[in-house]
Amino acid sequence: MAKKIRVLIAKPGLDGHDRGAKVVARALRDAGMEVIYTGLRQSPEDIVEAAIQEDVDAIGLSSLSGAHMALFPDVVKLLKKRGAGDIVVVGGGIIPDEDVAKLKRAGVRAVFGPGTPLAEIVEYFRSSGT
Amino acid sequence: MYLANAERRGIPWKSLRGTIQNDILKEYQAQKEWIFPPEPSMRLVVDTFEFGSKQVPQWNTISISGYHIREAGATAAQELAFTLANGFEYVRWGVDRGLKIDDFAPRLSFFFNAHNDLFEEIAKYRAARRIWAREMRETFLAKNPRSWLLRFHTQTAGVSLTAQQPEVNIVRTAVQALAAVLGGTQSLHTNSYDEAYQVPNEKAVRIALRTQQILAHESGVANTVDPLGGSYYVESLTDRMEQEAYAYFDRIQALGGVIPAIRKGFFQQEIANSAYRYQREIEDKERTIVGVNDFVVDERPEVEPLRVTREAYARQLRRLARTRKERDAQKHEGALDRLRKVCEGDANTMPFILDAVRADATLGEICDVMREVFGVWEEPLLY
Repeated sequence: MAKKIRVLIAKPGLDGHDRGAKVVARALRDAGMEVIYTGLRQSPEDIVEAAIQEDVDAIGLSSLSGAHMALFPDVVKLLKKRGAGDIVVVGGGIIPDEDVAKLKRAGVRAVFGPGTPLAEIVEYFRSSGT
Repeated sequence: MYLANAERRGIPWKSLRGTIQNDILKEYQAQKEWIFPPEPSMRLVVDTFEFGSKQVPQWNTISISGYHIREAGATAAQELAFTLANGFEYVRWGVDRGLKIDDFAPRLSFFFNAHNDLFEEIAKYRAARRIWAREMRETFLAKNPRSWLLRFHTQTAGVSLTAQQPEVNIVRTAVQALAAVLGGTQSLHTNSYDEAYQVPNEKAVRIALRTQQILAHESGVANTVDPLGGSYYVESLTDRMEQEAYAYFDRIQALGGVIPAIRKGFFQQEIANSAYRYQREIEDKERTIVGVNDFVVDERPEVEPLRVTREAYARQLRRLARTRKERDAQKHEGALDRLRKVCEGDANTMPFILDAVRADATLGEICDVMREVFGVWEEPLLY
């Protein structure tokens, strides 16, 4: 049997909107992945540490505070610094189009906005995590 | 800070009217803007009840909020049940402090969501009033009829706004607002159609306001009280809502009450389960969301972006720096020391928070003092 995909779902920054992150975490778990949820108010350092400790294949970051431009690229940079640049980083939340392009240039592999079907997110993790 | 500002401007506190949210229980359950653990936080809330009832008698000392519980994913029945359970918990804490129920209960206020299902929402508001009045009268033995009244604000469901075909949100919001008015809300907030994207732009806000004005001035729906009372359907839905709320009260009681249930993650798990079920229903097309899973068009939505300048941020930083430089350092330090001492004891913190504000302490500095004394809450992790 193939190794189960391991995903870390994290909420960087200060906003308390965890509905989407939790729904995605549950959908990935129901799709047979191993999911670690970090909870709220995590710093990029906390997230990278947890990702390395848990040996995950991918990280899903959720932010609805507008701080994504500062926080998401920091996670990518820190992963590279720690020699874990192979971990796929994706983001979700309220993220304007112009920021999506910038985030992708900064190494965030995909960005999922409001109304994205769960099936699409699950499929993305499945195809990128193995 | 509001009171200190009124004082500086020579406005008597007794003439101040307004509401603070001050509802910490729903933070642990849903909105997640907590700092301290539940018990010291509840003490701060009751401090406000005690202080407010004596010093600012026209002020609503709390807005017990179902709104955020619903936004986080709860059903209408869960919103109703959890909000009222929280309300009764505040009443118990007030009574345990030795406050007379009729001194503080008339200033308790509520805040509910207005979601998509028109009749269900109306039934929810009606059930809330019935339950509150009954329990205040029969269980808590309040004598003043004003203690029995459940006065509430309503906001339309932000979570129902779609990024797809955003203009359609204007219609959605209008229907939700109608439910709130037919359900007897005292005040109303209509969301703007672009809020799936951003803090709303000027035009979107104006349309949201006009939606309310059409209801208030053109439709006639605000001309009577409880217009759907007696409708067999709305009455039976109201009864069902009440029963579902009482079933939840029993479950919360069995867990040892609201705070033990928070520690066990009960509310949080119930809400997460409902949020997931709701999303699955949309994915499986058991629930239609116009423009999202049906009646879809292939177009890029056009929303005029709201631009916030960096200057606004820089200006605030400059103001803060100036305040810190110009304030009386000794007075500031003394006030924070006295606040720390009162937090360590059990006297009412409000006069000491006010003194800290008068000495130009910032919110962050006041919270830091409390953080040292009270510690911080760590929520149970679940999804």
